[in-house]
Amino acid sequence: MDQPAAAMDSLLQALQVNIIPNQEYLLQGSVLDTAVQRVLHRLKGLCDNVESAPEQFSDYEACFSLGSPVTDQMQAQQQPPLFLRVIRKTSEPVDAGTPFQLRYIGNPELGDAKRPTLVRASFDIACSPTICDFLTEMGCQLKFEYTIRGYLFRKGRMKISVSKIFKINQEPISQSYLVELSVLAPSGHDSVAEDMRIFAEKLKPLVLLEKIDYKRLAQMGN
Amino acid sequence: MGVTILTPYPLQNKSGAEAIEELSKRLLALGATQAGQFLVDGDIFEHSFKKIKIHVMHNSEYPASVFSILDNGQKQIPLITDLIFDLLMLKVNPIYSSKKMIKIESKGPRFELGDFLVKLGSVTMSQNQNFKGILIEVDYRPCLVPAFCWDLIKEFLQGLLGQQAPTAIPGYFTNTLPSNNPNQHYHRFNDTYQPIDTVQQYLEHFNNYRKQSQAPTI
Repeated sequence: MDQPAAAMDSLLQALQVNIIPNQEYLLQGSVLDTAVQRVLHRLKGLCDNVESAPEQFSDYEACFSLGSPVTDQMQAQQQPPLFLRVIRKTSEPVDAGTPFQLRYIGNPELGDAKRPTLVRASFDIACSPTICDFLTEMGCQLKFEYTIRGYLFRKGRMKISVSKIFKINQEPISQSYLVELSVLAPSGHDSVAEDMRIFAEKLKPLVLLEKIDYKRLAQMGN
Repeated sequence: MGVTILTPYPLQNKSGAEAIEELSKRLLALGATQAGQFLVDGDIFEHSFKKIKIHVMHNSEYPASVFSILDNGQKQIPLITDLIFDLLMLKVNPIYSSKKMIKIESKGPRFELGDFLVKLGSVTMSQNQNFKGILIEVDYRPCLVPAFCWDLIKEFLQGLLGQQAPTAIPGYFTNTLPSNNPNQHYHRFNDTYQPIDTVQQYLEHFNNYRKQSQAPTI
């Protein structure tokens, strides 16, 4: 009878034949609280779940970073820290057995002007509730935490979320909603980016979905 | 899933293959049917300068899960995740690196006998497949609390292994665990059994094998 394959071997094989969705294609934008209803109406008309009300979600999210052990400043800059997010739903029903999700997000690649979306490595791992202790003991530092509440729409394989970010004390972080259009696909599925560009066009001028350059954003902040 | 007891089997001048064959024959004579093969493997990721070890283990009985146990010398934190966790461990590579020489696995035939599931595993270590010993796993499937079925499993093991069967409850179940109430002792023996318990028993035995300096010949 066949020997069961070692788990690591079968995973690497799956990675080689590109069946693990580990690339996220992403466009982001924002809309003021006063205008969010119009965007929601437009999305209701455009998306798949027309008849039912849009799905609501409410999540707690904590971001941990795992720094490189290299003490040399120059080398530390070359090896950016690894960011890991722990996500758990906070909307009812929640009990002790509600799973947590661990999300790894890699460095975003903007690409050239021809590429319609931002691409970044991303994978979600369902895990048991010990994850926060596990990460802390592993040497990860809690960088920030927040709750995020909003609506979720689907259009084919595209996911559109319209959400608002709150501090832990439930105070909103800004006067606007974050709008994200994303697809999680195995690497090499660049055609989805074109579908996303076309969809983003349909949302203009209510909301402008763009490739956000985080480095430029950080410089603007300084 | 039920309650699983893991016990090492002393070789007594036999080779590993001979012992597995003899035990297989005994099980078949008792009326068991062979139901495929199984594999449990364990890898260690060590922090580059702190004394933190992450044991990443897989069990073919739960093929979609990865069982990780973080050991910082004072306490152990178990974590159960999807299989993709393995990819994440590759990402943390410069900080945590895998020790290939002490990768260990237990594999062999899997038998079904009524409510029991018996697995005969040959333990091999590192890429050279150094033979380390034999681990027998007995799973009594209808029960979830070790205290309720230990006697039954003990009797079954005596029937199968004779004098080499364990007589005492494995230490993993009787160790006192930290509890909220200091007056109340808390043991895993009276607790609901979970798949991570099987993996932790394997980890204990794997660590014992890792400590052994000389390996018996196959």
